[in-house]
Amino acid sequence: MEAKRVTGNEDVRILLEKARQGDRAAFKAVVCLYQQKVFLLAYSMLRHREDAMDIVQETFLRLYLKLGSYEREKNFQAWLFRIAKNLCIDYYRKNYGRRNELENSRRIEEINVVADDGPDNPVSQDLRQVFSRSLEKLGNRQRLVFVMKHYNGLQYQEIAEVLKISPGTVKSLHFKAVQNLRRLLGPELRMGS
Amino acid sequence: MNECRRVRENLVAFLGGELGEAKTEKIRHHLEACSRCGRELKDVQRIYQSAETLSPALRSALDGVDWEARAEKIVQTVWTKESSQRPTPRRKRFLLFAPSLRPVLAGIVGGIMIGALAMFVVFKGSILQKKGSEPLFAPGEFLDRVDLEIARRETLNYLEKSHYVLLEFMESDAGQRKFGPQSFAVEQARELLEKKKFLNPQLERARMAKAKDICDQIELLFYELSQVSEALTDDERREIQELIEQKKLLLKIKLLRRELQESEV
Repeated sequence: MEAKRVTGNEDVRILLEKARQGDRAAFKAVVCLYQQKVFLLAYSMLRHREDAMDIVQETFLRLYLKLGSYEREKNFQAWLFRIAKNLCIDYYRKNYGRRNELENSRRIEEINVVADDGPDNPVSQDLRQVFSRSLEKLGNRQRLVFVMKHYNGLQYQEIAEVLKISPGTVKSLHFKAVQNLRRLLGPELRMGS
Repeated sequence: MNECRRVRENLVAFLGGELGEAKTEKIRHHLEACSRCGRELKDVQRIYQSAETLSPALRSALDGVDWEARAEKIVQTVWTKESSQRPTPRRKRFLLFAPSLRPVLAGIVGGIMIGALAMFVVFKGSILQKKGSEPLFAPGEFLDRVDLEIARRETLNYLEKSHYVLLEFMESDAGQRKFGPQSFAVEQARELLEKKKFLNPQLERARMAKAKDICDQIELLFYELSQVSEALTDDERREIQELIEQKKLLLKIKLLRRELQESEV
């Protein structure tokens, strides 16, 4: 498994080298390999499909322009996610402040979170909405760590490389994110249980 | 209580399977015994379950996209933008504002500003002083020399006019011209007497002592002339002429004028 991963990383480096020399097919291969992961990160952060698509496109445009500065020994996925993460944060700051105010006009007490019988169940949809809103109330770094760990399946070490912080700090941010979610969801958690 | 706090701090790691075997077992034992920590564990589990409710939405978002077409579109966009962003030879900008000259420009502008500031600081005092009515300060020696020069010029002027009046008087013959109270020479004598009053303080100076002596003699003579109430008789005229000759006033005036002209301050 590890050998396969290393081989995969080497393949990516070769593709990147070719893309840097102007190989269109190589660059398209890189896009095919990573676009869904980048989309998942952007969609988890922004929760808006078209915006997430824009982030994906902008991420690969930036990637192409920065290919010359990429160092071979660096973790490519972490580097790519860092570009996407920065774009998401910028996009969020510019466009989401006002939208959230409008969407959050519904009071949290009005949402029923008693049962969770499946994704199509209206009660499950309410729980999802409550959780989504609580997630958005977290600070940028806590939200990023939680999203990357739970929806992108990244390990602490990988998250640390994306955010350029130590794995210990990532663990601490994740712990604080869970604590804050617990505080924000508070009564709904008890009702659900 | 310390044990509870330690367990709660590790609940996330415990659920994530990130702890060692011994630590995991220890926490499990504690959770079986402590109901409050058990409730905390259930809260965290419930948070994870809530987080899972978002996963189907994320998966469905991924499912509805033709990723192959998206990739082609992204590459196409990148290639189009990249070619438009490729640097094209630009016209040279005005040389003065070229990036390489910016430090020089900054230096020049900075120098001008510092110079202007220095000039403001230096001349600020004099500019402000002009607004007020403070007296002009000058050294005492300079003021003395100015006063002396004024005195010299005034005396010269006085002597010159006196010389003309006396000369006119000396050159008059018997019966040729009458010197009465309304005659030009007598009027001149009166004017010069007035002028002598203003000249007196200046003649008090040590360097003007000689001039003062002659001016006083002229003043005395003019005083006599100014007192005449009717035309002078030939005898009176001759008497004055003799007095002028006797005292050699014309000669003295001439010598003194020359001396004063030469000793210009």
